[in-house]
Amino acid sequence: MKRYLALFLLLALLTGCGSVSPEKAHESIQVIAMDTPMLLTAYGETATKAVYAAEDVIRELDAQLSRTNPESDVSRLNAAGGQEIQVGKALQILLGMGLDCAAATDGAFDITMAPIISAWGFTEDSFRVPDPSELETLLESIHDPGMTLVTARDCVQITEGYSVDLGGIAKGYAADRVAEVFEENGVECATAQLGGNVLAWGSRPDGDPWRIGLQDPNRPDNPEGFAGVLALSNAFAVTSGDYQRFFEQDGKRYHHIIDPATGYPADSGLRSVTVAASCEDVGGTFDLPGAMCDAFSTALFVMGEEKALAFRDEWNAAPSNTPFDLILITEDGRVVVTGDLDFTLDEESGYVLETVS
Amino acid sequence: MSLKPSPELRPSPWDALVILLIAALALGTLGLTWLNGGASGQVTAVISVDGEEIDRASLGTKETRVYQAGGYTLTVSFSPDGVQVLSSDCPTQDCVHTGTIRRGGQSIICLPARFVLVLEGDSGPDAVDAVLG
Amino acid sequence: MKTRELTRCALLTAMALGLSYLENFFPLSAAIPLPGVKLGLANIVTLFALYALGPGQALLILLARCLLGAMFAGNANALLFSLLGGLGALVVMALLSRSRRLSVYGVSTGGAAAHNCGQILAAMLTLGGTGPLYYLPVLLGVSLFTGGLTGFLTACLFRALAHTHLMKG
Repeated sequence: MKRYLALFLLLALLTGCGSVSPEKAHESIQVIAMDTPMLLTAYGETATKAVYAAEDVIRELDAQLSRTNPESDVSRLNAAGGQEIQVGKALQILLGMGLDCAAATDGAFDITMAPIISAWGFTEDSFRVPDPSELETLLESIHDPGMTLVTARDCVQITEGYSVDLGGIAKGYAADRVAEVFEENGVECATAQLGGNVLAWGSRPDGDPWRIGLQDPNRPDNPEGFAGVLALSNAFAVTSGDYQRFFEQDGKRYHHIIDPATGYPADSGLRSVTVAASCEDVGGTFDLPGAMCDAFSTALFVMGEEKALAFRDEWNAAPSNTPFDLILITEDGRVVVTGDLDFTLDEESGYVLETVS
Repeated sequence: MSLKPSPELRPSPWDALVILLIAALALGTLGLTWLNGGASGQVTAVISVDGEEIDRASLGTKETRVYQAGGYTLTVSFSPDGVQVLSSDCPTQDCVHTGTIRRGGQSIICLPARFVLVLEGDSGPDAVDAVLG
Repeated sequence: MKTRELTRCALLTAMALGLSYLENFFPLSAAIPLPGVKLGLANIVTLFALYALGPGQALLILLARCLLGAMFAGNANALLFSLLGGLGALVVMALLSRSRRLSVYGVSTGGAAAHNCGQILAAMLTLGGTGPLYYLPVLLGVSLFTGGLTGFLTACLFRALAHTHLMKG
């Protein structure tokens, strides 16, 4: 498709065709960072420069925010034993935003879950089911890290015994930063796929919205197994699902979205939650819509359908908030779509479509 | 300047020779792309490790290639029916479980080996540009 | 170059640019679902100039048309496409026109085919792959029709201008 399109647009230039804008060469690169495959595609004269600049930004963030890299800001903070340390801007921003999200979602999103995520083995891919007593002990050292942040000196400190994991927000923040790079480079059409995070920047070069496939949780191994297709332009969208990372033990499935209230994988009746927000509406309370979508997709998965829909109503009602929309896939085979999202159900998937205003 | 001799303005039998030549060229190139592309259209597998492109392969003929990446060994089969990772000694085996891919835009990824195989080619306006999930 | 020749070249360049613009209103892609298929009307001017003024001036007109066209389109990619297409057509037509046995139809068809080959080459250079070759057979087939059409229009032009000031040099 991309080649077809590029060929068409390039040939159309021959006669100075005015209906489509020119210079639609494109650049597409694959990057593995933040423990996930990423695909960056941009169109236009500055495409090459923009995607490589975006790769640099992502790699830099990875180096600062990774929990598996002992040199990263996050690892140093977790190992600081309650001492104040100097860190980069990215961690400062995400710590602040992470705590804001935790407050907004009543603790359904929590950046201090690191010890529990590690206990389940999701950090190092060495899966195990922790003892209930072990989880109980660990639950005491999460939620409120008693953070002090002195931005003037780039210094941060958290209570000893606490550690942070930004896995639920870092990729969304990376998407925000990629959008910034596209903006700076004057890119009008681009997509970035960072794990389950998608940035649909501008529109397709032909002016149509980008077509974003939504993975069917029942067919996670089929790369074409979509529950449906979401038409998006100028927006972020993030999906959290129980099929993305999981393991099975004694016939029971354990997935990676841990409920901070119980320490166990969230059992809320949902298979996946997709949060979408415009990337034009920056400047609201959360002026990083990508990071917001990422954090909320996890939090709303934990909340379940009823609470998630109520949370959205309440959130969008406040004019200072960046509004978002939802696609919920439920365990009983329904796809619930909110607002004006242009979602087309794949009839073969067998789901029943429900729309909520 | 001198006036050039006026050209022949009515079709001559010799024109048919030019037309036949072009038609033959068209059929020849058609056969060539057909043989190369096969049913899978014009799809090329692009293989990269750590973001660096290391190989390209067409899906025209049946063949098996072995790649060393990130300390692991992946055996990949290419054929007009598609591409699949036959075996890998990586711990997750996701690349093997992905199965066979054949359409432009699809990919096989092995995270531990930092190995990415993407099929490039046209896949029609209904293809998706990105995947959530 | 005499003022008279300069004026004539400028006139033909303007005509070629006008024709390039005009063919936007006859998008062949509506009938044939293939991108980039163009009538190649500007080849009429190249063909006419080749016969009436010789290869040297035909080349000048072609270069001027490509440069100006790319400037109007505002990008360098367009230049590569129109240059490779246009030069391909000019070279092939100049060679074919030396054969007195071929009519203007044969020459223009050969030119149209070469034009499309040049565009495919430009697409391959720009995209850095052999993907565009896929479209060559269809574009060659289409060039049979577009070549015939431009040949017909050029023949009309010669008939109409046969006794005018322009042709008498």
